[in-house]
Amino acid sequence: MTNFGVSLKKGLQMDEAALIRAAQAGDSDAFEQLVRAYDQSVLRLAMNLLRSPEDAHDVYQEAFLRVYRNLNSFRFDCSFHTWLFRIVTNLCLDQMRKRKVRKEDPTVLATAEGPLDRMDAIAEERVDGDPQRHLFSGQVRRKIKEVLGELTPRERMVFELRHYQGLRLRRIGEMLGTSEEAAKNCLFRATQKMRAALGDFV
Amino acid sequence: MSDCKWARQRLALLLYGELNLDEEERVESHLDGCAECREVLGREKAMHAALDSVEVEPSPSLLTECREDLRLRLDESPAPRRIAWWQRISAAWVWRPAAALALVAIGFFAARQIPFAKTGISERVRYVEPAEGGRVQLVIDETRQRVISGTLDQAPIRGLLLAAAKDPSDPGLRVETMELLDGHAQSADIRDALIYAVEHDQNAAVRAKAIEGLAPYASEPDVRGALAKVLLADSNAGLRTEAIDLLTRGVTLDPQTVGTLQELLVRGEQPGYVRERCQSALRAVKASLETY
Repeated sequence: MTNFGVSLKKGLQMDEAALIRAAQAGDSDAFEQLVRAYDQSVLRLAMNLLRSPEDAHDVYQEAFLRVYRNLNSFRFDCSFHTWLFRIVTNLCLDQMRKRKVRKEDPTVLATAEGPLDRMDAIAEERVDGDPQRHLFSGQVRRKIKEVLGELTPRERMVFELRHYQGLRLRRIGEMLGTSEEAAKNCLFRATQKMRAALGDFV
Repeated sequence: MSDCKWARQRLALLLYGELNLDEEERVESHLDGCAECREVLGREKAMHAALDSVEVEPSPSLLTECREDLRLRLDESPAPRRIAWWQRISAAWVWRPAAALALVAIGFFAARQIPFAKTGISERVRYVEPAEGGRVQLVIDETRQRVISGTLDQAPIRGLLLAAAKDPSDPGLRVETMELLDGHAQSADIRDALIYAVEHDQNAAVRAKAIEGLAPYASEPDVRGALAKVLLADSNAGLRTEAIDLLTRGVTLDPQTVGTLQELLVRGEQPGYVRERCQSALRAVKASLETY
């Protein structure tokens, strides 16, 4: 593939279906436009689910490489967004399940001064000026992270897609290859667990 | 089930707008007449707001790194699989014999019409000079591409991979080489290549892959030495975090690592995960948090 890095100043913005067709025909600029249209939300999803820049980076690479290699099998049966996020959510679920099996080090570390989030070491969280962060104490935020880490991978995924990414349950069901009702049950269980754990905090 | 219990079970879904119309109507009308449930709804809203406070935003530098690495990997990737026009109509199976026959015919004639197959040779003009009679003379370097395959046990394959691991011109190639070497770090030469990459490669993605390959051997002295260097000197915060995790994971700290961790503190490691992990590891072995 060549000219991927060439900036796209064609003067005309193609609509998505035209972009996909152009990319399928080997137009690398069109493929780059597709990547740029979605890559921030892919990275944000992976980062929030995996809470590791290294793992989010790996998911980003693997997801777009898979899209590139299999673009010609995309048949417009669903939206490109759904197709892409089906790939991304599968990669993230695999990673979360591996972690559960390996029982990796938790991202929150117990220290003499109280728990410390591994993510804080990497300074990836929202900028300090974010008012949401100051509304709630560190204790509440740590508790939330702890509960998020205790959800099953599937509950965690549905909760992430609905609460943080703002997707409708019907779309989430399509992405995860399940029904809207099953996605609703997952969301319900996740919110119940969250409510039970945060009862005294919020 | 009481109305209150029924309604409260649906408050979360109400806030997400995911109740069906009938349920939504019933919950709303219950809330109109029930102050206690309205209070519970208030707490549910507060929880929603609290949940928003833990959302993380990837840094712009991570996004840039991801885009750059993807560009490199796409440059190295073979072109996407094309679906031939005859595969697209393959559902109409009755056409298959006719299509196959047509392809054989096209192939036969094409082979006769195209004099040269694709050669896989790249050319570079080395010298140019005028020649007699208004002609020009060129001296051309030709590089011939060749595909070979084999296993890492075979010396030529292994030698080429170890050379690719240090190819300064192509970080994408080095990343993929590191991936292929992962799982083989029990061999001294491969482990040396991974350690070399961890200590010297300019590209953080290559270093990250090399650390991944060395992780199963994190209890061995040569690997620990490389990880200590990452911890003390690497410019990438993610890799330093990985290094301290591997150095302090489940083993009794050796004196060298204790020294490394103490040095880190003396150098004024900034407060944060690495510093905390460092201090807790030293406390666990009752080592001083300073050097004297």
